[in-house]
Amino acid sequence: MTNTTKKLLQVADLQIGIPHPRRETLVIVNKASFDVGYGEMVGIVGESGSGKTMVCRSMIGTLERRGAKVLAGQVLFEDQDLAHASEATWKKLRGKAIGYVPQSALAGPNPVLTIGAQLSEALKKSDTKGTIAEQSKALLDLVKIRRIDTVMKQYPNQLSGGMRQRVMIACALASSPKLLIADEPTTGLDVTVQAQIMVLLKEIRNDFGTAIILISHDLALIDDVCDRVVVMHAGATVEVGSVAEMTSPRHPYTVALNQSRIDIAVPGSELVTILGNAPSVGQWPDGCRFAGRCTIVQNDCTSGDHPPLFGDRGAHQSACLHADLLKGR
Amino acid sequence: MTHIIEARDVSVTFGSGATKVEAVKNVSLTLTTGEPLGIVGESGSGKSTLARVLAGLQPPTSGEVLFDGKPIYKGNKSYVGDERHLVQMVFQDPYASLNPQLTALSAVAEAVRIHDKCDRKSAEAKALELLQSMGIASMDAAKKPRQLSGGQRQRVSVARALSANPSVLLADEPTSAIDQSAQAQLLNLFRGLLNQGLAIVLVSHDLGVIRYLTKRVYVMKDGVFVESGDTESIFNDPKQAYTKELLASIPGTLGVAARKKLQG
Repeated sequence: MTNTTKKLLQVADLQIGIPHPRRETLVIVNKASFDVGYGEMVGIVGESGSGKTMVCRSMIGTLERRGAKVLAGQVLFEDQDLAHASEATWKKLRGKAIGYVPQSALAGPNPVLTIGAQLSEALKKSDTKGTIAEQSKALLDLVKIRRIDTVMKQYPNQLSGGMRQRVMIACALASSPKLLIADEPTTGLDVTVQAQIMVLLKEIRNDFGTAIILISHDLALIDDVCDRVVVMHAGATVEVGSVAEMTSPRHPYTVALNQSRIDIAVPGSELVTILGNAPSVGQWPDGCRFAGRCTIVQNDCTSGDHPPLFGDRGAHQSACLHADLLKGR
Repeated sequence: MTHIIEARDVSVTFGSGATKVEAVKNVSLTLTTGEPLGIVGESGSGKSTLARVLAGLQPPTSGEVLFDGKPIYKGNKSYVGDERHLVQMVFQDPYASLNPQLTALSAVAEAVRIHDKCDRKSAEAKALELLQSMGIASMDAAKKPRQLSGGQRQRVSVARALSANPSVLLADEPTSAIDQSAQAQLLNLFRGLLNQGLAIVLVSHDLGVIRYLTKRVYVMKDGVFVESGDTESIFNDPKQAYTKELLASIPGTLGVAARKKLQG
């Protein structure tokens, strides 16, 4: 299933910014690098504002809608450079080879369309066989919605949050994409529903070999379902590795994230918090952007450029200059 | 052991006829002074309605709620005595519960002024003190909600709730809209407040947070308590099928253990 030599998606030194007519361009993502293999499930974690959503927007070509654009770097999707793709290219890719499940399940579906109409909209652009009604039903069946005939005629407000998210996943799967991007798909949903959605995503991956990018700020969730983890902080990827490798993290930010995990904390004990806040966009300091919050900061951390990811692509990579100091923690 | 809050056979019904919804059905609960208590349940289980009943915001259809042995509702009025300020609530979405026009400092100062009946200057001084104890620096206190991070906003709303010197803090899903590290910060603050003798009722669907902070927990489903007791024993040895399923849904290590048990 997993092709070891060729990657489905390669993000290299990606830089995203918001140009301004009078002021300097505001850089919001700088030094983001990671790969997604065929059929691989990759989790992206980071605090709000760390740039995880922006990186994913660069993969579906909707950066312009937020006034942002790719300034430098590459986003290679099967040898196609998405960083500088034209709108015509996007029309061929978006919703076809790359599916997207937005963050807010509750606001996702169009409120004035029935679920049936919603799905046929998504299916119109795909070139699969069978009538649209048959295909819609097959999709709803795939995402484990019961009473399909009733649901087809219902409007989003008549469905529960979990059901709405399933419909959104069905829409994203309409044209059997190779890559599915799920941006915090379970925020605001109950834990039991969250667990069901995660089971569903895993099944989609296993049955169809769809690669999935799962964005979340919940490390525990990503640990449960993903193969590899990408950790982002202040617009940069600071650590990339397999779920197993992440149990001995090589970046102080990941260490702190792991320590603040509540599911492994002793009840009533002092929780470790990360010092201060992430530096705001436009106010990034020289050197490592985590230096101001780091427990092992050294003199050379606060000058020069933000460190790149060290180590071979595909191996356990960290952007910490002094990862050795973390050993034994 | 004195019960600071006691709910007896509380029911809340919304609507009538075909659209009648029984949100809470004959629920009884006790809260001891200074106790961390959890109420868990999924959306629609009635946990938020119950929290609103305890806060004096929602008169129950039947049953009664006692604060310090005295009923808090008289008809549709609540906390008619001086007790109102002793029970304070923190809401799920801090962005929606803070006035977007007011700085953090003036939001808290306004509450201080009302509760302490003091002048603006001393209100602001006390508000700043409260904000600083919640880890909000004076520089951030001058900011408006949209300039603050989610975790900071939630800490501002806790500071505002504390301005009334409450003995009970009702927190309705306080951690669900914020990041993991902000969540750790807030929970550390809650732990500090518990040490100072404040009772906290934590309403949440996040079992990790419940396990970490509370000593006793009620598990709610469809308006009734399906299970209640010591948090530790409920997590280690849940009796009801629903509780087992709930525990198995927690992501990470906690859920893994529960899932293993569920499969036998």
